[in-house]
Amino acid sequence: MIYNLVHSILHEVENINVFGLFSFILFFGFFIGVLVWAVALKPNHLEQMGGLPLDGGEKITNEKNPSSKL
Amino acid sequence: MNIETFKYDNRIVRAFAIATVVWGIVGMLVGLLAAVQLFFPDANLNLQFITFGRIRPLHTNAVIFAFVGNGMFMGIYYSLQRLCKARMFSDWLSWFNFWGWQSVIVAAAVTLPLGLTTSKEYAELEWPIKIAITIVWVAFAVNFFGTLVKRREKHMYVAIWFYIATVITVAVLHITNSMTMPAGWFKSYSMYAGVQDALVQWWYGHNAVAFFLTTPYLGLMYYFLPKAANRPIFSYRLSIIHFWALVFLYIWAGPHHLLYSALPDWAQSLGMVFSLMLIAPSWGGMLNGLLTLRGAWDKVRQDPVLKFMVVAVTAYGMATLEGPLLSIKTVNSLSHYTDWTIAHVHVGAMGWNGFLTFSMLYYLFPRLYRTTLWSTKLANCHFWIGLLGMMFYVIPIYVAGVTEGLMWKQFNHDGFLQYPNFLETIVQVVPMFRLRAIGGTLYLLGTFLMAYNLYRTAKAGKFEPDTEAQAAALEKTVVAPGKSAFHRLLEGKPLFFTVLATVAVLVGGLVEIVPMFLIQQNVPTIASVHPYTPLEVLGRDIYIREGCLGCHSQMIRPFRSETERYGEYSKAGEFVYDHPFLWGSERKGPDLAREGGKYPDAWHYNHMDDPRATSPGSIMPRYSWLLTQQLEVDTLPSHLIALRRIGVPYPAGYENGPAQKDLQAQAQKIVANLKLGSVNTDPDREIIALIAYLQRLGTDIKSAPVTTAAK
Repeated sequence: MIYNLVHSILHEVENINVFGLFSFILFFGFFIGVLVWAVALKPNHLEQMGGLPLDGGEKITNEKNPSSKL
Repeated sequence: MNIETFKYDNRIVRAFAIATVVWGIVGMLVGLLAAVQLFFPDANLNLQFITFGRIRPLHTNAVIFAFVGNGMFMGIYYSLQRLCKARMFSDWLSWFNFWGWQSVIVAAAVTLPLGLTTSKEYAELEWPIKIAITIVWVAFAVNFFGTLVKRREKHMYVAIWFYIATVITVAVLHITNSMTMPAGWFKSYSMYAGVQDALVQWWYGHNAVAFFLTTPYLGLMYYFLPKAANRPIFSYRLSIIHFWALVFLYIWAGPHHLLYSALPDWAQSLGMVFSLMLIAPSWGGMLNGLLTLRGAWDKVRQDPVLKFMVVAVTAYGMATLEGPLLSIKTVNSLSHYTDWTIAHVHVGAMGWNGFLTFSMLYYLFPRLYRTTLWSTKLANCHFWIGLLGMMFYVIPIYVAGVTEGLMWKQFNHDGFLQYPNFLETIVQVVPMFRLRAIGGTLYLLGTFLMAYNLYRTAKAGKFEPDTEAQAAALEKTVVAPGKSAFHRLLEGKPLFFTVLATVAVLVGGLVEIVPMFLIQQNVPTIASVHPYTPLEVLGRDIYIREGCLGCHSQMIRPFRSETERYGEYSKAGEFVYDHPFLWGSERKGPDLAREGGKYPDAWHYNHMDDPRATSPGSIMPRYSWLLTQQLEVDTLPSHLIALRRIGVPYPAGYENGPAQKDLQAQAQKIVANLKLGSVNTDPDREIIALIAYLQRLGTDIKSAPVTTAAK
């Protein structure tokens, strides 16, 4: 049923070029949304997230190569 | 707070690491053999199994799925456990993933030299192997998401987002592009035909690069670069924008592989525009990686791990700038089908994937074996040899690519092609092919040095199969409302996150592909185009088996330089019975879209026996086995039935008797033609079928160029 609906809608599209415009607007809106969202994030949360790879939870450090944390 | 003690599984990481090194060497060796054959065709030793057309896909598959694929699993299995503060969900699934993946690689290494191929680039493996890939990937996905579920770290770091996008999208791409109709255990025909097949293939091909070679490696960059530099990523905010913009955008850009082809114009323009927009997130990611090293460049001078990473990230930036530029239609008109594309992909493969993999290996081995790297000097030596090798590879091939493009388009003062003989243009760049092989050799030499260094490191240390770790158990927390609440919720909910990432990825693909399938005006029918005859079908199968499309395109673009050289430009309606499409992506030989009727049958026979006898200086290998091998006609009924099932209008029952009669009649006619050219052969040889196919190419339009209105 959904397939038939989409099929009939697409068959009635007079100019397929509208897809290009539609795609561009869709992405542009999405990108702006992500940008606004990222800018609004709290700095302390970002700091905490950025530090995640540096804390692997391992108990033992490398004795022969102490400068390189596991 | 309840502190739990648990162990990370290092065995699986080591297994994938060793496989990465072994398959890397194998893949590069095969690439070198293919490269040598481009200036010394007899390097195939007249063996069909190691001839360029068959080993080119072996090289690409080995490097992409065996070398980079194992490297990806190695990095993900190491980093995911540590980022989740949890052991992998199931050790059994981890090992199923490992052995399943290695089995697929071995199956590829056996079947591709045998000529068992679908011909679709980076998706050449036949359907039973494709099913095996699906099963292995599902096992990996279950293990991956299971680990996310049992994690002890509430928030999912950005690397995990990239892994999620990879797991989901690779599955979607693989399944969509693998829709084939089996015609035997190791033969199938693509469900899609012609233009639609091309669009699906390059939607897949482009996104295989995006979601197999790029997104997982970006995730690995976001983990290993801060680890190696011992400092957090430059901007976590930028990484969020990088991720969402990239996964949303990448999927739209596939049609840039088909510019000026028979693909509808709107799809081409869409591909071009979205490719250009890709520069923004790609460079955001590159800068984020490089700026992480701000204030730590002294470390880069000393640490080979960081050295490799810096070049890798820079190569990522270069390749992702060049890719969009190559998508601009005017640039693409020059670069497409030339070696420029080969140079471009090798900046990505050798620089981005290769160097990042090397850096991870140098990072991991000392840690897995609880020791220091056996020789930093040797690692530095590898770095410089590898870098030099890469330069020696790509620079000559860039020169070759531009030279080819310019020579193909050059007209003289009288308005005729300056170089009407294609051979002139390819002979011109053969010295560049030699230099490229030297570059490849250097790069391979560096990899051998690394393998030795890692082996000595392992010998010097003691392998730690499990690393003990401690973390607090994950407790249910309520996210307080606020500006960051939604994102914090998202980072803590893998399923919700996965659904959103999947939607972002799929939207582009659907908008691009759905109209293509539903609106028939995109593929105008041509009344004079008929299905291939039985002999031509078998000839086409041989063309696919030998990988002819690795060097010969079948798509004449609407440029005067092309129509003058090859004939009428290709129309979408000409390919409606082409399962799969065979447009190719590279010209080491001339386009064959209008090959039919250009030369007598005897010319093709002699040309296949010894290309240099008919075309002095040709770099095409000899195909003398086609002259002696018997044509397999027993499989014809199953092939015709399979093609009928996917829409080729062969009459019911045609395969039972009439098809064999038609085949024999056409074969006898070709044998008679060959006799006129002083060639005596039997009608049941493979060469007869191949000649039938080649003489058919493009003749539908030549005979009656009538285009009907769209239905």
